[in-house]
Amino acid sequence: MTEINKNPNLLEDALRNALRREDAPEGFALRVLARALPQASAAQEAQRASWLSIFSQPLLRWSAVAAVTICLVIGGIYYRNLQRQRAEGEAAKQQLMLALRIAGSKLQLAKEKVNEINTSRPEPQPQNRSPRSRS
Amino acid sequence: MSTMTRKLVPLILLLAFPAILRAQELKLPPGVEKLASKAKETVEVNMDGPMLHWASKFLSAEDPEERKAAKLVANLKGIYVRSYEFSDEGAYSAADVEEVRAQFRSPGWSRVVGVRSERDGDNVDIFFKLENEKMAGIVIISAEAKELTFVNIVGPLEVDQLADLGGEFGIPKLKTRPQSSKPMAKADKGEQK
Repeated sequence: MTEINKNPNLLEDALRNALRREDAPEGFALRVLARALPQASAAQEAQRASWLSIFSQPLLRWSAVAAVTICLVIGGIYYRNLQRQRAEGEAAKQQLMLALRIAGSKLQLAKEKVNEINTSRPEPQPQNRSPRSRS
Repeated sequence: MSTMTRKLVPLILLLAFPAILRAQELKLPPGVEKLASKAKETVEVNMDGPMLHWASKFLSAEDPEERKAAKLVANLKGIYVRSYEFSDEGAYSAADVEEVRAQFRSPGWSRVVGVRSERDGDNVDIFFKLENEKMAGIVIISAEAKELTFVNIVGPLEVDQLADLGGEFGIPKLKTRPQSSKPMAKADKGEQK
């Protein structure tokens, strides 16, 4: 029989001693990070390389360039047309407002003239004279 | 009806259709058309139905003035304006203006206002086109000493919209002159043709 079997408290003490909380040695965290970072960047680099490897073929590369160029040209033309349409619409709106302003001002002129004539006319003589004044 | 006639009728109608459409438009005599070269300032606005509707899409609903304009032009079929401003008096002929006026002394048109001012030479005529007792158009002919203006608005125009036309759009309502100054003008109001 061993010493531990003889005394169960010794086993407990041994376990407590083995599992006791102990601080990490100084610089441990930095060392872990220093090892982990190159591994992560290497994995990212490998992933990127797998994407870029698609463009390693000249046909695909030029197709991508052509697609991007076509998209840019179409987008540019569409934007320019939109701008032109907007400018033409604004010009048409200005024309419309000008036409309405002219029509409005001429209508006002006619109103003014009619009012001028009405106000300058002498008041009409009262028609219902009394029988006494008629004689 | 022969087959030939049946084929020709739609063709004739198709050819005549633009002429029917133009019938409501203001026809200016050549003498008036040439005035642009003499004028100090010329305004020419030709807006038919589709153009009006397209232009009205750009009117802002937030601007009260533009909102009124949009309401006003919603049912219109066209707006045609010619305005000539001259440096000197007597740049246009009265006969040319009379020729334009004569176009509207026809059935369907009523001259509602006709102002002849001998004092300042301002003559204004307003003609209404009535269809089924509703207004279907308005023509304004304003012949001033140094300015000649023709306005033709085609389409249904309500009276309240007409009032808006006279008092809005940034033009201040004009005030009548004091009663002391006696104008040498005569006006025909409500003359029915």
